[in-house]
Amino acid sequence: MSFISDMTVRSPWLFRINAGSCNGCDVELATTAFIPRYDVERLGCKYCGSPRHADIVFITGPLTVRMKDKVLRVWHDIPEPKVTIAVGICPISGGVFRGGHPIAGPVDRYLPVDVNVPGCPPRPQAIMEGVLLAKDIWLERVRAQEEARQSLKKLGARPEEKKEEPFIDAGYL
Amino acid sequence: MHDLGSFLMQTLQGLFYLLIFPGGLFALSLGLLFKGVDRKLEARFQRRVGPPILQPFIDCVKLAGKEEMVPRGAPRAYFVYAPLLGLVGMAVCAALLPIPGVTHGMTDMGDLLVYFYLMPVPAFALMMAGSSSGSPFGALGFSREMTIMLAYEIPLLLVILAVALLVGAPASAEFSLNEIVEFQLANGSFGLNPVMMPALLAYLMFLPGTMGVPPFDIPEAETEILEGPLLEYSGAGLAFFSLTSAIKSIVVLGLGVVLFFPGTLPGGILVNIPWFVLKCFMLMLVALTFVKVASARIRIDQAFRFYIKYPTPLAALSLILVWVSR
Amino acid sequence: MLGIFKILLRNLRQGPATHPFPFAEAHTPPRFRGRVTMLPEKCVGCGVCAHVCPGEAIRLQPSLDNTGYSFSIWHNSCALCGSCRHFCPTGAISLTNDWHLSHRQSEKYTTAEHHLVPYLRCAGCGEPIRMLPPELAARIYAHKPPGVENLGELMKLCPACRRLEILKREAIAAANA
Repeated sequence: MSFISDMTVRSPWLFRINAGSCNGCDVELATTAFIPRYDVERLGCKYCGSPRHADIVFITGPLTVRMKDKVLRVWHDIPEPKVTIAVGICPISGGVFRGGHPIAGPVDRYLPVDVNVPGCPPRPQAIMEGVLLAKDIWLERVRAQEEARQSLKKLGARPEEKKEEPFIDAGYL
Repeated sequence: MHDLGSFLMQTLQGLFYLLIFPGGLFALSLGLLFKGVDRKLEARFQRRVGPPILQPFIDCVKLAGKEEMVPRGAPRAYFVYAPLLGLVGMAVCAALLPIPGVTHGMTDMGDLLVYFYLMPVPAFALMMAGSSSGSPFGALGFSREMTIMLAYEIPLLLVILAVALLVGAPASAEFSLNEIVEFQLANGSFGLNPVMMPALLAYLMFLPGTMGVPPFDIPEAETEILEGPLLEYSGAGLAFFSLTSAIKSIVVLGLGVVLFFPGTLPGGILVNIPWFVLKCFMLMLVALTFVKVASARIRIDQAFRFYIKYPTPLAALSLILVWVSR
Repeated sequence: MLGIFKILLRNLRQGPATHPFPFAEAHTPPRFRGRVTMLPEKCVGCGVCAHVCPGEAIRLQPSLDNTGYSFSIWHNSCALCGSCRHFCPTGAISLTNDWHLSHRQSEKYTTAEHHLVPYLRCAGCGEPIRMLPPELAARIYAHKPPGVENLGELMKLCPACRRLEILKREAIAAANA
C-alpha cells in the first residue's frame, strides 16, 4: 500500500488559478515549467489545462471580489486529494493590495491553503521548494485516505455515499 | 468432450492473445514505455532532463487513486463508458496485430479492413467523451476531432488499398495481414519498394495526426481549449484514455511495421520481438518524436488542408503506380 | 524548415541545461533581494521603513509597558522591493539573499521577524527616549554647536533636555567670549 502512495506522489500534475494576479507570479510559474534551467517535469510534474486533472493547484493574485466565486468554483472542480499552494504574497496576505476595496482575499479565508510561497514574485527555485513541500503534504493525505479506507473495510462498513459536489453558481457575468 | 476441450483451448488462447500478448499487457506496457521514452527524448531535444522513463506508469497509478467526477448534466453512461470503448477497441486491434516471425495474431484473419474500421474507435471514444461532457470546450474538441479524423482517414484508406492491390496482384486484392507479411517476406519489404515509397511517406504523415501529437494535437489543445474532450475527465477515466493512446501508438506503429518493414531476423521469437520493438521505435522516432519537437500546433483548417494536399495525393500516386504495374 | 533539426541535434549534443536545484544548492547572487532583516542596535525607530513599505510588512509599535518598541517584519507581506533599505537613515534594515521562504500553512503567522528595541532613559529627566546612533548625531550636529566637545553626553538626553543643554552651553560660551 505504501508503495502505491509513494508512486502516487511522484506524479504531481499542476494547475494554476489566477485570482486577479498582476501576472508576475504566473510568469514565474511558466518559467518554472518551460525553461530548461528549472525543468519541473523532471520531478514528474506536468502542467495541465483542466482543473479535473490537477493534483497540486497554484493560486496567484489577491483574490479580487469579481474572481472570488470563479476561483472557488474551479477549486471545487479539482478532484481530491489535492494540495493548494498560494504563490506570491498577494494570495497569502493581500500583499500590496491588502485592504483595497476590490480585494476579497487573502485566499485562506475561503480555501484551505496548504503551502505558502511568499515573494513578489518568488523565484522559480522557491516555487519548486513549495512543490516539494506540497508533495510531502500530499503523501500524508494519500496515506490517511488509504488508512481510512482500510479501517472502514475492517469495520465492515460500506464506504460513504459520495456527496453531491458543492456547486457555486458563478453566474457568468 | 473433445469439442468442449478444443473450444476451451481456443477460448483460452484467444484470451491470451487479447489480454497478454500481443494485445493487452504487452501492447499496454510497451506503449507506456514508448510514451516515457518519447517524453524523455522530447526533453533532451529541448535541453531538459525530462521525467523518468517510467513516468507514464506512475501517472496511471496515480490517476487510478484519484476521485472521479461526473459533471452535472452529463449523460452518465456515455460519459463513464466512452473511455472503456476506446480501450477495448484498441485492445482488439492490438490482439489482431501479427508480429512478423513471432505470432499471427489472435485469429489468422487479422484483416486490414477490420483495422480500418477499428482504428477510429479511440477517436469515436473521444468524440463521445467530448459531446457528453456538457462543456463547450468538449464540444469544440469533438468537432475538431471529427474534422481531423475525416482528413487523416482518406490517406490511410488509399494506403491500405495500395498495399492490398499490390499483394493481391494481378487479379484481386488481398487484405489479410498475414498474407501481406508473407508476401513481403518472399518479395522484399514494401518500405524499400520504389512503387510504395509515396505510400510510406503518406503513412508517416498519417501517424502524428492519428496519435494527436503536435502539430496535429488540435482536438486536445490544452492551451486553447483546455484539453478539449478530456476536460471533464478525472481519475480512472483519464487513465483509460492515456492507456488507450498508449495501445494505439503500438497499434499504428506496429501496423506501419507490418505494412512496410516486416522483415524478420533468423533466430526465432527471442530475436524477433526486440527486432519488432526496435522497428516500432525507429518509426516513432521519425514520425512522432521528431515531428513533435520540431513543430508547433497548427489550426484545424491548416491541418485539414495539409492532409488533403500532401498525404492524399502521395497515397493516390502509390495506388496508381500499383494499378499500372500489375 | 531544416534549421530546426540542426538546433535539435545541437541541443541533443550539448546535453541538458537544467540546474540540479532540488537535489543541490541553487546559485544565488550575493545581491539577490531575499528575506528582509534588521539590526535592533542600529534602529532609531524613525519609522520611515514602515511608512514607505508598500505592503505594510513592517510594523512599529510601542510596547505596552512603555519600555521599548516592537519592530516586526512580516515576510508574507513583504514585496522584497528594498524601499526600507533605501530609506533607512542608519542602515539598520537590510535584505539578505535568503529565499528559502516556502512554508506550510501552520507556519504562516510565524514567518516573521520580531524585535523589541528598548528605550533608553534620559539622563536629565528620566523620560524614555529612542536611541540616537553616533553617526546620525555627527550628521545632526555637523555644525559643531559652541561649547559642545563630546557628543556622547548629549546623546544620552531626550530632545527637549538636549535643546536646553545646548542653549545653556551656548550661553556659557557666549558669556566666556
